[in-house]
Amino acid sequence: MTAATEAPARPAPARASRLAPSLSFLRLLRIELRHNAMPWLLPLIAALFWFDSYRPSTGMPPLYVLRTFWNMGQGHTIIDFGPFVAGVAAWMGSRDGRRRTADLVTGTAWPRWTVQLATWAATAIWAVAAYLVFTGAMFAAYAGQGVQGQPPWWWVAVGAAAIAAFSAAGFAVGVLWPSRFAAPLAAFGGFLAMVMSSQTGFHESTGWALILPTTSNGNFQPDSGLLYPWLPDLPIARIMLLAGIAVAALGLVGLRAHGDGPRLRRLAAAVTAAGIAAAGTAVGLAGTARLSADGTVIPALHDAASDRPFGYTPVCGQAAGTPVCVHPAYRRWLPDVTAALGPVFSEVAGLSGAPVRAAQVGAVYDDVDGEGGQAMTIGGRPPVLSLPLGALQLAGAFGGTAAVFADQLRLLAVHAFVGAGTGVGTPAQQAVQAALLEGAGVPFAAQLLVLTTTGLPSWAQASGNGGPGPAKGPVYDAARRLAALPAAARHAWLAAHLAALRSGRLTLAQLP
Amino acid sequence: MNVELIDLTRRFGRTHAVAGVSLQAGPGVFGLLGPNGAGKTSLLRMMATVLPPTSGRLRLLERDPGSLGPRRVIRRRLGYLPQNLGYYPGFTVTEFVEYFALLKDMPPGRVPRAVAAAIEQVGLADRAKAKLRTLSGGMLRRAGIAQAIVNDPELLLLDEPTAGLDPEQRVAFRAVLRGLGEWATVVVSTHLVEDVGAACTDVALMDAGKLVFHGTPAELIARGEGSRAAGDAPLERGYSAVLAAARSAAGTRSATETRA
Repeated sequence: MTAATEAPARPAPARASRLAPSLSFLRLLRIELRHNAMPWLLPLIAALFWFDSYRPSTGMPPLYVLRTFWNMGQGHTIIDFGPFVAGVAAWMGSRDGRRRTADLVTGTAWPRWTVQLATWAATAIWAVAAYLVFTGAMFAAYAGQGVQGQPPWWWVAVGAAAIAAFSAAGFAVGVLWPSRFAAPLAAFGGFLAMVMSSQTGFHESTGWALILPTTSNGNFQPDSGLLYPWLPDLPIARIMLLAGIAVAALGLVGLRAHGDGPRLRRLAAAVTAAGIAAAGTAVGLAGTARLSADGTVIPALHDAASDRPFGYTPVCGQAAGTPVCVHPAYRRWLPDVTAALGPVFSEVAGLSGAPVRAAQVGAVYDDVDGEGGQAMTIGGRPPVLSLPLGALQLAGAFGGTAAVFADQLRLLAVHAFVGAGTGVGTPAQQAVQAALLEGAGVPFAAQLLVLTTTGLPSWAQASGNGGPGPAKGPVYDAARRLAALPAAARHAWLAAHLAALRSGRLTLAQLP
Repeated sequence: MNVELIDLTRRFGRTHAVAGVSLQAGPGVFGLLGPNGAGKTSLLRMMATVLPPTSGRLRLLERDPGSLGPRRVIRRRLGYLPQNLGYYPGFTVTEFVEYFALLKDMPPGRVPRAVAAAIEQVGLADRAKAKLRTLSGGMLRRAGIAQAIVNDPELLLLDEPTAGLDPEQRVAFRAVLRGLGEWATVVVSTHLVEDVGAACTDVALMDAGKLVFHGTPAELIARGEGSRAAGDAPLERGYSAVLAAARSAAGTRSATETRA
């Protein structure tokens, strides 16, 4: 050590400028960022992100709503990050306890709570920045692959808020239980929370459960970002919940900060209460959510401007001479659609109400039909067949094949033609539907199987009697009789009875 | 007076760690002696504002640390080295000292020079970039001293500051203490009476939470003269004599109370 004579003379106390506290905080943050444990885990999270979030998504068709359904909609990006972030944050939060620096820090001018917030902020900055970089890289890869539509930015914001909430909650665990076991405990707790959130999301598709960040119910609409914007209502509520959790956790940290005095404790208690109130409000808001045509609407948060559909110039093809137009993002499926609808249009050509055009419409999530199933309709003068393609099981999406996609198109087109609407239809309508499908290339033997495929409205399951089996019974007997007629005779019979059939007045016995 | 304690007590459950200590100290080096468990560390922690007293009055740098504003002012002008120095192993010496300089609310522009000066003063300039985990026990102690003195404190509280230092470092450290004591109040809690003799202008002895002696080192030496108290050096004999007298008085009091 240097001798006392070399000790500096007592300097005059310097007056700190107004900017000094923020500058000091930034310098403190720089030191904390340099010594944070989060970067050590980033390679592991990156590997998990690649295998769990990115790789499975590449098997989906190149539409953002489908590509990101697993990683953003069902929250796998959050699941990949959350437990690790909670663990690291707990490790950092328990640092003063583990390293026995609590007295040193408490005896300084800064409130201990502020110092702890700097440590947390460094952890959160690393985690959220990594989340945004990884997600950004994934979206950049998607853009390079020509993925169509608008990326779900609101869901990225939800993910970032979730990571911040995990870091705050984990940090609070570390502060409240400053032991080396705090980190594994927080990581396991985070994992458990994710599992429970996912499971609840699968079972509860309405009400408060919509607030859970790992459930895709309601807001990952079939055509979100394609035909209409991503609705921000539910993301805003979820961000509110997650921010509330983060604030409440950080308030708890302040409650535990010994040596800061009663005033700061009271402030910490108020912050905790505010966080809990925000989270509770968010859960309450989710309870008021209802499904609209384009997503989940929370009346208190809804802006009608978000309902405005996107304008677009369709791309068109021909199906048996009938124009078929779809959104440009669905261009790759246009040949499948025209090939599937061609035989149906040929069957009904010239009949009253036969569509002169088919045009894509936005798929609508119907909580009665569930699973995104939606019927086609024929309306307008001249009649136009509406195609809710986003609601069908597109080839390549969720294991769907081109054959199933074609069969579904035919089934829905014929169902609309016989006037069965959104119900099962009368026995006569079912029989005519089956006969037309047979004529359009879906044999009777295969029809019950088609009716049970995923992506169809609930009436399909009901008319399929709950599962595939032999096509028999009075409906199929009548259908077989109608199908056995020569094409011209069948056409003539349909022309004569179509109005009665559609109005539901025709009985099975009246079929030829 | 930079330190003013009136009937200060601190209880942990049924244990009286500090039992009614009254003390005043101005600029100078103040030695706090006592056996293990005497209450020195608890007293220092209360003076460092990290442990609130159970009762009594505590004024530091002419302020009441019980209120938020004054406590913050005190902490800006306080240096504290705890007995068990906690540290962040991944920090370099410079980062560790800078970290606490910032927490002590030093103007950011002054921090780099103050950090370098403090590290220089404790003789760690050549290890300034070394991570704390690579330092020996003595060097860590010096890094701890550097963080305590970085803000040129008016009240410096050092709990066993020379533990782990080699003789050469201890001699140099005492010189640093004397220099600081010219304008600040330096309270040094120690087991090593030679530190007190070499550096302190004032000394107090604690036993069982109570202050049993307060005076100059010369007065403490005088207490040991002519007694058969144990000790190799005059100050040690004084220390032992005061302790023996205090314990004997306490024993007599206890016996009297029992008889009564």
